[in-house]
Amino acid sequence: MGGYGDVQCIDDNGIRLDGRTKDEVRPVSIETGVIPVADGSARIRWGLNDCIAAVYGPMEAHPRKIQRQDRAVLDVRYNMAPFSTTDRIRPGFNRRSREISKVTAEALESVVLTELYPRSKIRVEIEIICAEAGTRCAGITAASVALAHAGIPMTDMVVSVASGKVHDIVVCDLNKEEDNYGEADLPMGILPNTGELVFLQMDGDLSPEQFQEAWDYNMEAAKVIHEEMVRALKGGDE
Amino acid sequence: MSIPLVPKLLRSHLAELALEDKRHDGRQRFEGRDVELEINCLPRAEGSARVRMGDTIVLAGVKFQIMTPYPDRPNEGGLMCSAEVRPVAGRNWEAGPPSAESIELGRVVDRGIRESGCINTEDLCIIPGEKAWQVILDVFAVSDDGNLFDAFGLAAIAALRSATVPAERFEVGEDMPLEVSKTPIMCSYHKVGGRFVYDADKREELGGDERIHITLGDDDHVHSLQKGLKGIFTAAEFADIMDEARSRCAELRDLVNEKLEGE
Repeated sequence: MGGYGDVQCIDDNGIRLDGRTKDEVRPVSIETGVIPVADGSARIRWGLNDCIAAVYGPMEAHPRKIQRQDRAVLDVRYNMAPFSTTDRIRPGFNRRSREISKVTAEALESVVLTELYPRSKIRVEIEIICAEAGTRCAGITAASVALAHAGIPMTDMVVSVASGKVHDIVVCDLNKEEDNYGEADLPMGILPNTGELVFLQMDGDLSPEQFQEAWDYNMEAAKVIHEEMVRALKGGDE
Repeated sequence: MSIPLVPKLLRSHLAELALEDKRHDGRQRFEGRDVELEINCLPRAEGSARVRMGDTIVLAGVKFQIMTPYPDRPNEGGLMCSAEVRPVAGRNWEAGPPSAESIELGRVVDRGIRESGCINTEDLCIIPGEKAWQVILDVFAVSDDGNLFDAFGLAAIAALRSATVPAERFEVGEDMPLEVSKTPIMCSYHKVGGRFVYDADKREELGGDERIHITLGDDDHVHSLQKGLKGIFTAAEFADIMDEARSRCAELRDLVNEKLEGE
């Protein structure tokens, strides 16, 4: 969080750099079946974010020490492609991608009926092809659609979205400038059918009122994104 | 990449088809899958391309960095090509440090481009001895249904040819197109059922033997060759596929030129 930077992220009329008002979500479009060799796959384009997710399995879990006698394990990897950002990213796992992979796995494990597949493994691969703030949210959302596309039983899909604060104004679904120069970021993973949460992070500075406002924005945004997820699964493939 | 057990059935099925000069998907021996090429599809890259050949899909992105020239070559910048096959691209690709297979992929693609001389590293110099451009070409597999080599090679040269040097962002002058003087193209042949076929898919790769990769430049000059996997081939077989490679490379080069003119 850079505090107040040189960049004016929101003008006097309340219009943001990308033309949105403070409560609007960036345009979202989702398609399934984008990785023909995978058991399930999805692509989400969300603002300038472009993220693909593949699901392989359930398959035999090896090495054997990762097996669980009573359930499947989710093997989740989040990665940014070298050309996904302004400055090239050196290939290989880093601390950031490792943490995001971990919290993503835990969010998805909360909804996948892993007990149906003892001793097996379900691989979830998330690749950020183009990044514009909120890539972890795009990744979780795409992975949920890919799991559904693979026919993996789940209690619900996870919709993930981040709202935050810039120039002391709470805004929905942060874009790149707002993420860089804003004062707070609140990503959440929401189960749209119950309003429950399976993923939550936050950094920055929010008053109790601002926190509630950002929370409510995420809940509303999740409904919009969920509609697109359902549309992609029902009508998307071919 | 973990090599799955090759079912004997697949191998013998492909061999039986070969006796009648057939392939399992109905293609002719030297017929490629349909090729789709899209240029400038990655907004954060300075040059990019997406290639689809059947169910094989790859991306290539070009990025630039400022480097200090090497002391023995103070007037030259650099070119680096790196290939990553991440586990997203198929069930047999594993996480972890790059496998020997993906390193081979990157190096063979790199050689074809580097040795063609299509990029003059002296053009990349900004201030002799102090500043030069390093061109970094990353190829990335989205979906591996065989013949990643050719898909990578095609995406790589198309991405380079579409690249813009981001001089303004680095405050060293005005943006300009990257100078790429040639269009090297790779064609790969796999031995399946005892004879070479062009553009093998995953099943043919798994149920086949050795492979040969040929990169040809604009005047049919040879810029890189690679024989991979266990197998023995004759001079006559090689002459045969070299002939085929000449006409196929020319077709693909036309496709690249056509797409770039459309931009």
